[in-house]
Amino acid sequence: MLKGKLKLPEAARRAFPDRLGSLVMGFDDKDDENGGSDLVFGSGEELETFQPNGFGLDRESDEDEEHKPSDDSDLRIRQRSDKDGASSVSVSEIIAADEKRSDIAFELSQKEINLEKLQRLASLGLPDGGGLRATAWKLLLGYLPASRDLWEKELTENRLKYAKLKEELLLSPAEYTRRKTEALDAMEQDVDSPADGPLTRQEISQEDHPLSLGKASAWHKYFQDTEIAEQIDRDLQRTHPDLKFFSGDSSLSRKNREAMRSILLLFAKLNPAIRYVQGMNEVLAPIYYIFSTDTDEQNAENAEADSFCCFVRLLSDSVDHFCQQLDNSSVGIHSTLSRLVELLKANDEELWRHLEFTTKVNPQFYAFRWITLLLTQEFNFHSIMRIWDTLLSNTFGVQEMLLRVCCAMLLCIKSRLLSGDFAANLKLLQHYPEINIEHLLQVAQDLSPDTSSFRLSM
Amino acid sequence: MVLVLALGDLHIPHRAPDLPPKFKSMLVPGKIQHIICTGNLCIKEVHDYLKSLCPDMHVTRGEYDEDSRYLETKTLTIGQFKLGVCHGHQVIPWGDLDSLAMLQRQLDVDILVTGHTHQFKAYKHEGGVVINPGSATGAYSSITYDVNPSFVLMDIDGLRVVVYVYELIDGEVKVDKIDFKKTATTNSAH
Repeated sequence: MLKGKLKLPEAARRAFPDRLGSLVMGFDDKDDENGGSDLVFGSGEELETFQPNGFGLDRESDEDEEHKPSDDSDLRIRQRSDKDGASSVSVSEIIAADEKRSDIAFELSQKEINLEKLQRLASLGLPDGGGLRATAWKLLLGYLPASRDLWEKELTENRLKYAKLKEELLLSPAEYTRRKTEALDAMEQDVDSPADGPLTRQEISQEDHPLSLGKASAWHKYFQDTEIAEQIDRDLQRTHPDLKFFSGDSSLSRKNREAMRSILLLFAKLNPAIRYVQGMNEVLAPIYYIFSTDTDEQNAENAEADSFCCFVRLLSDSVDHFCQQLDNSSVGIHSTLSRLVELLKANDEELWRHLEFTTKVNPQFYAFRWITLLLTQEFNFHSIMRIWDTLLSNTFGVQEMLLRVCCAMLLCIKSRLLSGDFAANLKLLQHYPEINIEHLLQVAQDLSPDTSSFRLSM
Repeated sequence: MVLVLALGDLHIPHRAPDLPPKFKSMLVPGKIQHIICTGNLCIKEVHDYLKSLCPDMHVTRGEYDEDSRYLETKTLTIGQFKLGVCHGHQVIPWGDLDSLAMLQRQLDVDILVTGHTHQFKAYKHEGGVVINPGSATGAYSSITYDVNPSFVLMDIDGLRVVVYVYELIDGEVKVDKIDFKKTATTNSAH
């Protein structure tokens, strides 16, 4: 069974310790940032050349007893390697990914889910496709309880609540009056009588007409909401224009935008202190995407309700960042930015000094967007998923991990920052370059802890 | 849910200086999608003011209008309804329902909006609806001096129209509502 070509995986297993997956992925990616990485490159190249045939045959021979299908698998693997050529997926990477998937699937299929274990697994990255990521995120955000039996009940309860809220708050006044009069009309028989003559007039209160300026008027509220709704619509048109899921004129993207519109409008109405802030659509987008592409049909259908609840939970930590009055308070955005600076100082004083004093690049200029939008604008969609896996699985909360990742982002481009002046650095930080995500997250995990947040979490 | 404002016979500046302040405070831009004006504005300033409330404005010519480019009649389709506009001084006898019904059949519309009498009326007649928004400033007419300022706001929603009538009676704004539905057979009446 074992052929010459199969030396690779054994060699790989011998040469590398247990955390094979992350190490291999660390330098295999062509997008790697050379400046910050100090990992060995040599073995990576070895893996690459052996990739096409070695992997496939290894897997196939494990699964079937006969050698007959091996020819087919050869062809298949060669075809696949042509496709994957651009992303140069390595052998061990695929093995590790599959192991991870089965680990997580196993964990999620338990009756009582061990949240700590799930957090640990999730921080290493959740697999794309299938419903694993969706379920994991729901658990990590606290939407689903740890015990599987309660899921059904929780889900139906929350979905019903959402539907009720929608009906209560998002009904247009015309719809509302129509439903009211329709209930009355049903009792009278001759409403549509074609009798000629003056039309009957009904006196109505000062609140019930469209031009009413009264605060309690449903119409007045409706017109106020139209302003917010218009802004939401404008932002939604610009969400991820490269993804067919969100943009374009297909009925699918329209339906998705409609759903996201309801969620954001409902959130704005329920939180009059913050309302809608530009960018909330970006925070909602990954959640809604993951939930609607869940392979479980029921979950996918109720993606809107689930996304609303999880969006609220996710924002509850950082909602103070959006409130302008709290900007300078101890929970506002400025305080968070100074914590980021403290974290950088604790980990790399040279870079900190260079940014703070030499080039005077204030974190306000670049990190504001990083923090309030949870890094959704800095990376491509796929990377955002991976980063959010780590963010959501942090035991100390999303914000703490977020600060670490931001700090890691600075550290990873340290050499370029040190050699740049104010304008160059600002440009670089506002258009963050492509980088190996696993490496970035590894650096973030390894940072020395931020003492101020430790004080808070204790 | 399309909001259409119907008003007319303002006679500014000849018979009235301006719209009543209570009406003016209610008419803010951004809420209304169309304006239908029966005529007799009479000057350009009024036209510009109404245009600022809503860019989509339809005006027909009244006998005192200073802009001679307005048409005598106009038809437009909003949602499922066909609306016709005419000032009404051309239809003799003034305000006579049968004559107005003739005009309605001529224009082939579901709702005919006319003015000139300075009296609010909403009638269902011979398969169509005639709405007279009255005079928005309460200007006197050739028939009577006793005129209450009034105008009409229509909420067109599918096959159903809700007409809100705004009248200024004794210094207070009173709002009434009229509901009617368009039935499928209305148009085929001949």
